Amino acid sequence: MSTVLKISELEVDFQINGVITNTPLRGINIEIKAGKTLGIVGETGCGKTLTATAIMGLLPSSAVQRGQIEFADHGVINKSEMAAIRGSEITMIFQNPQSAFNPIFTIGAQLTMVAQRRGISDIKAILVARLESVGLRDPRRVLESYPHELSGGMLQRAMIAMALLSTPTLLIADEPTTALDATIGDQVLTLIATLQKREGFAMLFISHDVTAVAKVSDEIAVIYAGRVVETGPAHDVMSSPQHPYTRGLLGAIPSAEKARGTLVTIPGNVPSVLTNIKGCAFAERCSARIDKCDQEPPIVEIGNRSVACWVVKS
Amino acid sequence: MLGGEIMSEIVMQITELTKVFPLRDSKVGFKAVDSISIDLYKGEVLGVVGESGSGKSTLARCAFGITEPTSGGTIILGQSLVGKSRKATRELRAHLGFVFQDPAGSINPRMSVHAAIAEPLMLAGMDSDSIDKRVNFLMDRVGLATSQLSRKSHELSGGQCQRVAIARALATNPKIVLLDEPTSSLDLSVQAQILNLLEELRRDFDLTYFLISHNLDVVSHLSDRVAVMKDGVFVEVGSTRQVVDAPKHPFTRELIRVYSGAAREFDLDTWQDGPMNRWAFQNVSTFLPTRKIEASTKPLEFKALIDDTLDAITIDVADSTYTLPELLADVDTDAIVVVRKATLVYEKYFNDMTEDSVHLLQSVSKSILGALYAVMVERGVIDIDKPIAFYLPELVGSVYEDATIAQALDMTVAINFSEDYSDPQSEMARLDRAAGWRTNTTGQDLGLRSFLGTMTASGEHGKAYQYCSANTDVLAWLISEVTQTPYQELLTRYIWQPMGAHDDASIIVDSEGLSVGNGGISCTTRDLARFGLLIVNHGRANGEQVIPTAWIDATLAGASADVESADYLQALHPGGSYKNKWWITAGASREIFGVGIYGQYVWVDPTSETVIAKFSSLPIPVDGVHSRKHMALFKAICAH
Ligand code: SF4
Repeated sequence: MSTVLKISELEVDFQINGVITNTPLRGINIEIKAGKTLGIVGETGCGKTLTATAIMGLLPSSAVQRGQIEFADHGVINKSEMAAIRGSEITMIFQNPQSAFNPIFTIGAQLTMVAQRRGISDIKAILVARLESVGLRDPRRVLESYPHELSGGMLQRAMIAMALLSTPTLLIADEPTTALDATIGDQVLTLIATLQKREGFAMLFISHDVTAVAKVSDEIAVIYAGRVVETGPAHDVMSSPQHPYTRGLLGAIPSAEKARGTLVTIPGNVPSVLTNIKGCAFAERCSARIDKCDQEPPIVEIGNRSVACWVVKS
Repeated sequence: MLGGEIMSEIVMQITELTKVFPLRDSKVGFKAVDSISIDLYKGEVLGVVGESGSGKSTLARCAFGITEPTSGGTIILGQSLVGKSRKATRELRAHLGFVFQDPAGSINPRMSVHAAIAEPLMLAGMDSDSIDKRVNFLMDRVGLATSQLSRKSHELSGGQCQRVAIARALATNPKIVLLDEPTSSLDLSVQAQILNLLEELRRDFDLTYFLISHNLDVVSHLSDRVAVMKDGVFVEVGSTRQVVDAPKHPFTRELIRVYSGAAREFDLDTWQDGPMNRWAFQNVSTFLPTRKIEASTKPLEFKALIDDTLDAITIDVADSTYTLPELLADVDTDAIVVVRKATLVYEKYFNDMTEDSVHLLQSVSKSILGALYAVMVERGVIDIDKPIAFYLPELVGSVYEDATIAQALDMTVAINFSEDYSDPQSEMARLDRAAGWRTNTTGQDLGLRSFLGTMTASGEHGKAYQYCSANTDVLAWLISEVTQTPYQELLTRYIWQPMGAHDDASIIVDSEGLSVGNGGISCTTRDLARFGLLIVNHGRANGEQVIPTAWIDATLAGASADVESADYLQALHPGGSYKNKWWITAGASREIFGVGIYGQYVWVDPTSETVIAKFSSLPIPVDGVHSRKHMALFKAICAH
């Protein structure tokens, strides 16, 4: 199976006048195969969205990026090469569909502009077909509507239709269900998975919602403080987490099965991006910590899993 | 409270609480909370779970006296919240604590942590020494260091803010605490800390919690009892174990499934969607009531001369090129039969189907009704220009009082009906519930007859094309009423046997035994091809005239140009139209076909004398991409 996206040793610094103010991403190594989904899971401020921003080539000018991004048959690509394929070979959906649409134009006008940019002919028919395929039964009405006239779930579907007007090689979905009710979010997830199965695009699915990530992903990457701490097949990571942080995170999910008052908690807080971290970023909060943990942990391969930790054994 | 424990005292009694918000266009207004009654026992956690718009927050606000209810009320520790003096209300309120979702928002940003926690104590008239002691005590109990006391909310993390909010809520030693989405803005690991803290405080201070959240995981973890709220009412209340292990209401089941991360399972609400439909479409009679449409004793046999070269044709559609087998796989084909000039030239089965398997036709069933009406009209049984209520007086007062049979056949009835398959509130979903195709717990629309009688007109009939499934159900009912013969028997006698069906077919009926004419027929792929062959053969089969030639010619002519078409129809078939329950294309070769959702087709090309019968189990009901692929597929086969 061919690789669609390969990111090696991605690091991002923010600098002011040549002085590094913080390094929110370090040592990001991920890979997505054609037609497959990689889920990135992590808490607020861990660098999930920044990773997507870097892939899309949309980092601000104060950011300095190191490492390599290889995309499909383009090989290693830089920011300007990425700009050329953004919106066609790589498209994106995100948490807030309102921000994807301009409030003063109808959905139809905006989709038409996107379709023209992508060189789609027979636009009207394609738009109607696309809106139908994302489960919008009355596409004519949707096309004539302004964004505020549609419900959150409908607008989310319209944004998905826009991202898939022509089938991309990679779809980046950043918290696409977070703003929706659970049952509507589940419908959207099912829809994305169905469209993916049919059209074969690869997907980078980013969410803080572990259940949603587990549901749609083939592989999962857990990010903590700007670094991938564990990757592996979704089912394996969920059923036998190896990294102390992954274990803590899964243990923190409440459920009727867990006795009240006994949820696993991770003491302390996520380190601020401004903290200059040496060694394992999780060390301050880790109950398994040993002396060596003040040095950069190695990447340990355990079966089909990669774990950045001193104490796990391969 | 539970599990055999002795019932403790009731600390809060909510009785028939109703809250109606006025609406601009309505006299009735919007009932956010609809007559809810529930008791809270001392020391328990009652969790209310619901989605946005369920009314759960309004319920909490009314119950705790933050918002005035429209009717009904709350009795707290034996005293009513309504009709009290200000002082008495304030005293009663001191027994109540509040924690809301957004801690940063509920703490005044200009106040220090100390001031935020001290404020309610000051209002209660405590002296400053006692206040300082109490604040320090509370800080310790919620896990905050006293060094944080001088901070403002923006200097705290989300978790710390929520700890301050909890300390403030507990300041006056309340007995009952409202927790409204207490952890919804927190990260998972911080949420766990707060949930553990809430449990610890409840035990130590003997608190009773009224917990509101959209998050089933949170509610089921923290609560003794769970109430599931939807559209202003509790659809289910029970002990947490009961609700989680044996949910009764479909909405509860759906929530539990979503939170478990499981895929949708086969049930009455999911059977039509993929992948459940891969089995369901071939087996409807095992889970829905059906009636038999009988085969002929002299079945029409085809010559078979399979044309393998069809496998090699290539079809261009949607920027891709497919071979026939590739395109069939792409549209999740279950079966395809191609008959050309009375010879079977292509036949393929997938997904466990064989030539003996039946498959649901969905709306191709409508085209069979069209053919039956042709026979009935010719026999003088009915006059299609008469209003429907002329034959079904029960429908006087509904849209069918004025709409004629011909208008229902051509789908030009102007009716308030949304054919949206994805919207559970649409009339299409109501129709499915009335027909027994979905679970119906609404207590309304029991059976097709009562549902059809509620349909209303939206304008002048006969002017514009408007696809509406209810129009076909009303015609199936009408014809069996006029002839005093069950619909399935009419089909057996006038279509199925005369056309030479090889196998029995069936039709789904509603709870009263009325046929679901809009989509309920199942038959074999070859029999569907035999039905299509009637059109190619000008209505004749086995040497008999089954349906009148004139009707076929009139149908092939398409709808009158005066009828306003629909964009989606024109986008797919420029110049095409809908007539007598069939679709007709425009142009030199005029094709005629029946379509059902999820990819069911009978496609007839009179020019090349080709009939294609094809079944699929597509994952979603309607989809323009798939419609295009099907058109390309059929045209390529006919052109070969
Ligand atoms: S490297 Fe050390 S501190 Fe980091 S997660 Fe592993 S054991 Fe814990």
